[in-house]
Amino acid sequence: MNKDKIFKLAKGFRGRAKNCIRIARERVEKALQYSYRDRRNKKRDMRSLWIERINAGTRLHGVNYGNFMHGLMKENIQLNRKVLSELAMHEPYSFKALVNVSRTTFPGNKAVPKKEGLSSIL
Amino acid sequence: MATTIPTSAFIATPLRCSTGRSSAIWVQKAQFSASSSSLGVSLSLKRPSLRLVSVRCETNGAGMPVIPAEERWMYEESEINGPDIWNKTWYPKAADHVNTEKTWYIVDASDKILGRMASTIANYIRGKNLATYTPSVDMGAYVIVINAEKVAVSGQKRSQKLYRRHSGRPGGMKIETFDQLQKRIPERIVEHAVRGMLPKGRLGRTLFTHLKVYKGSEHPHQAQKPIPLPIRDKRIQFVKK
Repeated sequence: MNKDKIFKLAKGFRGRAKNCIRIARERVEKALQYSYRDRRNKKRDMRSLWIERINAGTRLHGVNYGNFMHGLMKENIQLNRKVLSELAMHEPYSFKALVNVSRTTFPGNKAVPKKEGLSSIL
Repeated sequence: MATTIPTSAFIATPLRCSTGRSSAIWVQKAQFSASSSSLGVSLSLKRPSLRLVSVRCETNGAGMPVIPAEERWMYEESEINGPDIWNKTWYPKAADHVNTEKTWYIVDASDKILGRMASTIANYIRGKNLATYTPSVDMGAYVIVINAEKVAVSGQKRSQKLYRRHSGRPGGMKIETFDQLQKRIPERIVEHAVRGMLPKGRLGRTLFTHLKVYKGSEHPHQAQKPIPLPIRDKRIQFVKK
């Protein structure tokens, strides 16, 4: 690639990496490698974030993520984790209904949380 | 004495309200002050353009203005149907994690097992109990710990657990046992435990500042109205054998 293309891709880099071709070429090559790798990593990271959010949302109702998903799979509810995490954030009552469906199918967690503090409001 | 009418501005609204989802309906009304009723005369005669008419944009069920089909190509999808929350993963904006609106929790550390308590505290400070958890953003709460000098450990840890620090110079390692440190600076024990459980990095250091540990049962944060921290661990209470 010629120098202009390299410098165009090196915008925002730190120090000499944006101005000097020898350094910029190395950094741009590395940046392109990282972006290739991270296009694949982003899918993994996003799914992991959805799972963490669903976990937090279900634990508010006394069920952990594993038992919740097992119950959903048993009921053949095919909602994906992206949608489930958005439901947990924006539609709490619908999410609670889903948690109840999962709990009736698979009552893995026997202990119901003691209503203390904020969770009593939910 | 009021013949002047403080009115709200009567803006001639455009037919299509191309603002975001939040301002669904623009209702412009001419408001008359209370004193005008004492006159008993309709003041609309003076200014014929002021009428009690509300101009509303035509909206569909989602609160967005209706765009006819032949003009739909001019607009972006987010302008037609509102922001797409189901296909884009939510990311918090600055208004979603304002420090002044965060909850404050309080824990009494007397006779609680150190590690188990620190683990729940770290979870709440990091925000992992919320469905809106985001790892790169500080969404957690503030936690106050009182009676830090009464925190308990099981087994022989009271005399055997070592706290080490190093000054950086050769031979500069200082070692203290749990009870020595508890006599000297009891807050440091809880802080050390929670700091080890928070992420290490720039965000982790700011999260650590959200932990407030105090020696006695008094704390200066009454104005924040802290609520008791909900602890779900059954084995957190220290049982003397």
